[in-house]
Amino acid sequence: MTKSDVVVVGGGSTGTAVARDCALRGLKTLMLERDDIASATVGTCAGMISSGLKYMDEPHIVDMCSQEVVHLNRIARHIVMKNPILTPMLELSDLSSGGSFAEEYSKRAAKREVPPVLFLTPEDSLKIEPKLNPNIIASMYFEEFFIDPFRLCMLQAIDAQRAGALIRTYCEVIDITVKDDSVDEVLFYDRVKGDIERVKTKTVVNAGGPWAPGIAKMAESNVEIRPNKGAHVILDRRVVNVGIIAKAVDGRMIYLFPHENTVLLGTTALDTWEDPDTLVASHDEIEYLLQSMEWVVPSIREARIIRTMAGVRPLVANWKVPEDKVTRGYETIDHEFEDVRGLFSFTGGKLVMCRHMAETVTDLVCEKLGVKHKCTTHEIPLPGMEADVDILAFSADYGISQHAVERLRARRGTEMTRVLELTRENPDWRTTICACEPVLEAEIRYSIREEFPQNLNDLRRRVRLGTGPCQGTFCTYKASAILMEELDLSGEGFKVDILDFLAERWKGKRQSFRREQLVQEEVTQGMYTCVANLDQSEIEYDPKPWEGSI
Amino acid sequence: MGEEEAYEFVTSTLEKERIEPYTREESEVVHSVQQCINCGICLSHCPVVAAVGIYRFSGPRSIAVELSRSPPEFWATGDTIYLCTGCGTCMEVCPKNVNIPEIVNMMRSRILRFRPDLVPKGLHVVRETILEHNLAFVPLEDVEDKTESRDMRLEHYGLPLIETPEEAKSEVLYYPGCQAEERSQEVREAAKIILDRFEVGFTMLEDMCCCGLPSRLMGDKDTAEKLASRLKQRIDELDIKKIVTTCAGCTSNIGDASFAYDWNVPVLHLVEFLTDEVGTDKLAKAFTKPRGKEKVKVTVHDPCHLIRHTSRQLMDKALLLLDLIPDVKVEVSTAADSCCGGGGLVAYHSKDVSKAVVKENLEAIRLLEAQRVVTPCPLCTAQLEDNLFQSGSSIEVDDLTVFIAQRLSNKG
Ligand SMILES: Cc1cc2nc3c(=O)[nH]c(=O)nc-3n(C[C@H](O)[C@H](O)[C@H](O)COP(=O)(O)OP(=O)(O)OC[C@H]3O[C@@H](n4cnc5c(N)ncnc54)[C@H](O)[C@@H]3O)c2cc1C
Ligand code: SF4
Ligand code: SF4
Repeated sequence: MTKSDVVVVGGGSTGTAVARDCALRGLKTLMLERDDIASATVGTCAGMISSGLKYMDEPHIVDMCSQEVVHLNRIARHIVMKNPILTPMLELSDLSSGGSFAEEYSKRAAKREVPPVLFLTPEDSLKIEPKLNPNIIASMYFEEFFIDPFRLCMLQAIDAQRAGALIRTYCEVIDITVKDDSVDEVLFYDRVKGDIERVKTKTVVNAGGPWAPGIAKMAESNVEIRPNKGAHVILDRRVVNVGIIAKAVDGRMIYLFPHENTVLLGTTALDTWEDPDTLVASHDEIEYLLQSMEWVVPSIREARIIRTMAGVRPLVANWKVPEDKVTRGYETIDHEFEDVRGLFSFTGGKLVMCRHMAETVTDLVCEKLGVKHKCTTHEIPLPGMEADVDILAFSADYGISQHAVERLRARRGTEMTRVLELTRENPDWRTTICACEPVLEAEIRYSIREEFPQNLNDLRRRVRLGTGPCQGTFCTYKASAILMEELDLSGEGFKVDILDFLAERWKGKRQSFRREQLVQEEVTQGMYTCVANLDQSEIEYDPKPWEGSI
Repeated sequence: MGEEEAYEFVTSTLEKERIEPYTREESEVVHSVQQCINCGICLSHCPVVAAVGIYRFSGPRSIAVELSRSPPEFWATGDTIYLCTGCGTCMEVCPKNVNIPEIVNMMRSRILRFRPDLVPKGLHVVRETILEHNLAFVPLEDVEDKTESRDMRLEHYGLPLIETPEEAKSEVLYYPGCQAEERSQEVREAAKIILDRFEVGFTMLEDMCCCGLPSRLMGDKDTAEKLASRLKQRIDELDIKKIVTTCAGCTSNIGDASFAYDWNVPVLHLVEFLTDEVGTDKLAKAFTKPRGKEKVKVTVHDPCHLIRHTSRQLMDKALLLLDLIPDVKVEVSTAADSCCGGGGLVAYHSKDVSKAVVKENLEAIRLLEAQRVVTPCPLCTAQLEDNLFQSGSSIEVDDLTVFIAQRLSNKG
């Protein structure tokens, strides 16, 4: 049986951050993720780092997040972008409520190198965003940073791995045994190999997000969260010039944020009792978002919706208050109080504070283990951050289009040269596999070899495969062929993988189908049923819970 | 910070983030591109993709689904986006009518604004010329040189000199465009002959200025708009009711401007003016066999700016005209409607691409027995003529306007 200083359960933003911190402090670290890195909540979030808007009444959290932005800009600048944001106001009351926000925000602006909140006239606002409702009376302007959540998790995991951590995906923790009031062993099921393994450990960090209560239960401990569903609608491209924040039908704030080459419309916040594994955005949520945004961006319904995504926020269990009164901070639970030493869990938290959460819990773990190393995660850059990249030079050097190289840079920073290098020996690998992003064959091959994906969905999280307007219509079969070759899988596996990937796309598409995307779907169906005959092939495939019914 | 200062601050941030707000009109183009379903039909029709391959020019589909999605990244499309000839073939075959040529212009405008260093040098040269002279070509400085060149051309084509009408109020404005004004002067002269022959009262501008198409194509929106409004001002002053053109590019571009800004002034290519306003009866009577010229076999080239940016019917009308001329036989080229490679200002910076594109036309033309190529556009004429000549072919190219003028009988 293997031994570990610490076992981290969960490979979302929190789990990967914890694994990285532990590994950098020299702990023998094992991270177990039941699915893939960033496959759950974090993959459905907006990637906004430091939104002050939602928790201005919790100044200490705003302080913490502002500081985290500074850190993230230091360690992961290559995957951080800035969005200018307008908050158009339609009524005088909007103006007064904006004032207090402006004050809090502006206090911490300089630190993040952004301006204080500015107020713009309706005319100027309309010049910046002609799509706005011409009846606005003013707008508020501020700037926020965004990060690619998938790449952040991936880079944290890879960095942890390079620092000696063992990162294992598709390994589901099924039991945590406790001996003499201390955690002793973690049992997990390797879903790829089909084996059960066990590992001896003194500490366990439960970074299971919405699954944290279930994981705690394995060790006869208790974690309570207030699960809160959030959904996003994703548009095919940047149809707005800047981010837009608006008041929703119920007075909450919602937003339209340019994100990479898409726009996110979000989000909802609903207390939920649904299974986070099979959750999809509902018709009500989509309409809630569209109608709310329509007041300030009247043409919003004309935009092309490519899909939706929904996740569950593992909020701190403050009950009998509206969702927006629940703290946006996090709590670290040391289960020693219920006689389980060495087990730590989180409730609450956000993407932006994942590094902070990790630091807190790793301090506790180190204390338990008697290790004295200091946290360095805010100082050591994540892979790819070493330098700026000369896109034009690389493009010319490798004979790959500048835009493809630029997109590669946005995902990988300086590490992109490793991908480009592959095309020296294999010029054919410059082929575009996913046309919408684009993704080159070389990047897919590199990712398969270096970033441990098991299937097409994992590849999507690493390289943005199939995330564009056509939603996998043309890349799925091509990428699948490469995956099969690299991993030496069977023809049967090839088909199942295609079906799995298309099913996952379907999960997000079905609810929001209209106009262009319906036409697109005809093309997709034509490809995979009429041409590839996948609906007729005799393979063992169980439809997913969200397939078949609405 | 005051509101004015705030606005300035915000615009400077947008500048840094390389965001130039989409105007409402531009948003319509974006909306058109949002219709793309990635089917790839356009890819197999784009003449540039066919000529230089997908590694050099990733083509219209990639413009729709990849390159045009995120304005802050437009700068990184400079190696691709300038290779589109704007021929509009993609849009014509597209099941969703995606407006690639216009999104290309929009993207180029962002590169010009935020990364002028990435705009091909050749385009900067044209831009300087336009800014200085309001024309796409540096005009011949010496008026006498220009006259001499005109006279030589008239002699070469066997055309008489018709006096230029004074600039004055008139129903019809004949607008020759930069190429016919500065380079292919025979086209301008031929148009005058034809209009005069049919006793059309018309006027011309004393100082021709560019219609703005080259500026639009290189993404210089401001200059394009300035030139358009300058033209509009003259139209108003002269009380013009109709514009007659002989250049395909001018026809589509002024037509677009007239439509976009509600000028209510129709723009007619001379071909259309002749068939629709003069009428085939009159035309039929006016044509003679040109002296000393034998029955001639011609093939036709369809300018993109007519067939795709204006209307395919225009070429039907051109064929109708040719049909009325005695002893002209038209042979159809399989590449008649393939872009000549002269569009989108591509030849100004990537001659190899422009040449690769025109090859398709040349090969198809060579297979025919035709002795001449005719086309109703002086720019296509020049592009085909140069390339046929360089390839050692003896086939000659005529602008349709010249071809017609040569075959008109005298008045009366
Ligand atoms: C719609 C929405 C928008 C949001 N927007 C933002 C935002 O803009 N900014 C921001 O800062 N935050 C945002 N958040 C919050 C943020 O996404 C989450 O708080 C955070 O990402 C949670 O990460 P996590 O790692 O804790 O959870 P998760 O990402 O859910 O990770 C938990 C992991 O544990 C794994 N797991 C579960 N059970 C087991 C087991 N038995 N064995 C092994 N592994 C297991 C799961 O597979 C999962 O991968 C948003 C949330 C939502 C829902
Ligand atoms: S306009 Fe012509 S050259 Fe440009 S992408 Fe379309 S087909 Fe190709
Ligand atoms: S033909 Fe039209 S819909 Fe099809 S890929 Fe080209 S632009 Fe898109």
